[in-house]
Amino acid sequence: MAMHKNRLLFTKSGRACYISHLDLMATFQRAFLRSGVEIWQTEGFNRHVFVSIALPLSLGYSSDCEILEFNLESPFSFDEVVERLNRALPEGIHVRECYEAKIPCKKIVDLDWTVTLEYDDGVPTAAPAALRELLGRESCVIQKKSKKAKKGYTELDIIPMVKSWSLEEQPDKLIFSARLAAQNPGLNPALIIDTLAAETPAAKPDFVRCHRNEVYGEGGVVFR
Amino acid sequence: MDPKLERILLRVQKPARYTGGEYNEIIKDKAEVDTRFAFCFPDTYEIGMSNLGLRILYGVINEMKGVWCERCFAPWGDMEDELRKANLPLYALESGDPLSEFDMVGFSLGYEMAYTNVLNMLDLGGIPLHSDQRGEDDPIVVAGGTCAYNGEPLADFIDLFILGEGEEVNCELIELYRQVKREGGNRLAFLERAAQIQGIYVPAFYDVTYNADGTIHTITPTHGAPPLVTKRIVRDMDKSYYPTHTIVPSTEIVHDRVMLEVFRGCIRGCRFCQAGYCYRPVRPKSVKTLVEQGIESCKDSGYQEVTLSSLSSSDYRGLEAVCDGLLDYCEPRNINLNLPSLRADGFSMSLMQRLQRSRKSSITFAPEAGTQRLRDAINKNVTEEDLLKSCQTVFEGGCSAVKLYFMLGLPTETDEDVLGIADLAQKVYWTWRNHAASRARGVRITISTSFFVPKPFTPFQWEEQISMEEYQRRVDLLRGAIHNKSIQYNWHETDTSYIEAVLARGDRRLGRALEEVWRTGGKMDSWSDYFSFQRWMDAFAATGTDPDFYARRERTRCEVLPWSMIDVGVRPDYLWQEREQAYKSVITPDCRVKCMGCGAAKLIPGGVCDEDRR
Repeated sequence: MAMHKNRLLFTKSGRACYISHLDLMATFQRAFLRSGVEIWQTEGFNRHVFVSIALPLSLGYSSDCEILEFNLESPFSFDEVVERLNRALPEGIHVRECYEAKIPCKKIVDLDWTVTLEYDDGVPTAAPAALRELLGRESCVIQKKSKKAKKGYTELDIIPMVKSWSLEEQPDKLIFSARLAAQNPGLNPALIIDTLAAETPAAKPDFVRCHRNEVYGEGGVVFR
Repeated sequence: MDPKLERILLRVQKPARYTGGEYNEIIKDKAEVDTRFAFCFPDTYEIGMSNLGLRILYGVINEMKGVWCERCFAPWGDMEDELRKANLPLYALESGDPLSEFDMVGFSLGYEMAYTNVLNMLDLGGIPLHSDQRGEDDPIVVAGGTCAYNGEPLADFIDLFILGEGEEVNCELIELYRQVKREGGNRLAFLERAAQIQGIYVPAFYDVTYNADGTIHTITPTHGAPPLVTKRIVRDMDKSYYPTHTIVPSTEIVHDRVMLEVFRGCIRGCRFCQAGYCYRPVRPKSVKTLVEQGIESCKDSGYQEVTLSSLSSSDYRGLEAVCDGLLDYCEPRNINLNLPSLRADGFSMSLMQRLQRSRKSSITFAPEAGTQRLRDAINKNVTEEDLLKSCQTVFEGGCSAVKLYFMLGLPTETDEDVLGIADLAQKVYWTWRNHAASRARGVRITISTSFFVPKPFTPFQWEEQISMEEYQRRVDLLRGAIHNKSIQYNWHETDTSYIEAVLARGDRRLGRALEEVWRTGGKMDSWSDYFSFQRWMDAFAATGTDPDFYARRERTRCEVLPWSMIDVGVRPDYLWQEREQAYKSVITPDCRVKCMGCGAAKLIPGGVCDEDRR
């Protein structure tokens, strides 16, 4: 299929973080219909308005930089599309921008994440050291669950997929910022934390928050 | 959001049902709110949000200035475990505040098997279970819905029942609450004054005494409560509130579509049907109102599907006009129009063609019984000819799946009637053979039987339910009579229907058993994942309750029934007369053909129900 003409850049936060990927698509389909912004519908027996969301976000994660593709069929300006959609969307989903797509989504390379590791009884001394040690390795092959693979999992070296990172220590949390591979294959930050917790049980956080900050294309350029 | 809740949500299935925050959710400034109402639905979010009544009442109450109505649903087991472990109370979705902080907590009772969830939600919400344990700071616990017409098994737990249509009573009740609060009155003062409002039943104000055989001797009102509580109804459906501007869930629910109620009540009088008698008299909306509301709802929600709802949509006079009006809007926008609740007799070719403009793969009819004799006995005025003719229309229109619903265990049913179901299904099959637009894809005929549960306020309210063994024998008899691979037979389990029969005609003594079921882990009893027949039987044994007394006993005409202080309009002697007609297999004409004087007309000033006779 040819590339879709238009994109939305939107944020997902607060209570909306619990809307699953599939439900989010339905939410956008209905939001378009109630906004009066006409977009391309699929042909065929079960016709519906077409939307596609790049790089599905895990349930519970928040993001400033989600990308939705569609084909605008209304005479509205991009600003008006943004305004109309924001009136039609539920709390926590907010469109930042509507624009013409220039580079296909398969050119997305990296994602910037902020991962907050919360420790109710204070950060254990072992935790930052263990995380630094883990990320400093040459390679770290983990088993990732896979529905396609015969074994039920695939092996993945997570180290080359961590492009850069930094760690901020606070009394009751570690703030881990990282640029991670986005696709083919992508690295979910939860995998790093799971590996950390499996190797160093004392470093297991009580709660992890993941937030997507930005999307990058080739050459480290912000992707739109 | 509560940080403890945040952590829980990622460990439970489908967390979006516990967060609120959907499009059109109503958030009010607490500083401008003096009265808070929690609308509790004793089932999951997906079921509750599919209920039109909830959406109507949510809208109606929130139109009141200074009053905020929020929603609360029963959590699934994983969520309940997490809430209890984290010591978090059950909360309303809008504010996240615990149920115990509300002024009023209202339950919608649509199904007896949800009763354990009512107790569980009260407990999870931090509200004392028993009415008489609640203090001045606890919420007033109210309940309405079809089951409220005999809410006696819940009498110990509910402060007051709302009988009839909530949009008519709720605001008046809430206004009274505000007034009593302003005047510094207490709970008792509020309940005493509430009991004076038509449609409000305060169970604690009625003393019940029993005979030696366990039947009721007398029901005596106290505290000035009326001896007979008459239900309330909306008089003009065109003027009544309809939620065109309603919550659009961000997660999939059961009925993810616009629900358009074409009329309330039913002209038919099928003798087994509680809704048919309790919702009388029939009150239609005008075609104009329906088309406007349908279009407005589609625009506001973005839904791609509209369904017309009522007890028997083909009895709506303007059905074709409504379909035309809606299709003019829906078709160019690829919005589907659905028409459930069609009677097999009113099914016309032109209607079928209209539906064909939208996609429709299967159609459902409910003949309810397999022979004409039994259909006459239950007053389901559908003939075999009607049904086969409708099936012919459907098959000629290209549809190749038909579902047929029946009941087993109806009063006067014989083996001949049971076998008649198999015969009828076979005739439907032959109709397909002779009239199918294309036989290439084959046909799927699904017959389903449920286990008849006698309900209050029907002509069969005095009947015994047949035994579970006998139901199973009839199921097996029917199974043995079906030899066609195109005919599939599904039947309901017996044990849920038995418990349902106990509760449906139960009295307030059942409260102890109900509480015992809940204390031993009972909840979500309408879900096979949770229902345990043994738990119920153990609870009956532990509380000295004989369930057969309620389910399997024929009542005499003069017995004081547990719901005899409730008036739904239809007179008890009319119901008895209908029961006698059933035993003679004599049909009663519908309200449009002839007014039989059932009593419901008194609820409308002027006393005429159906529009043509006005």
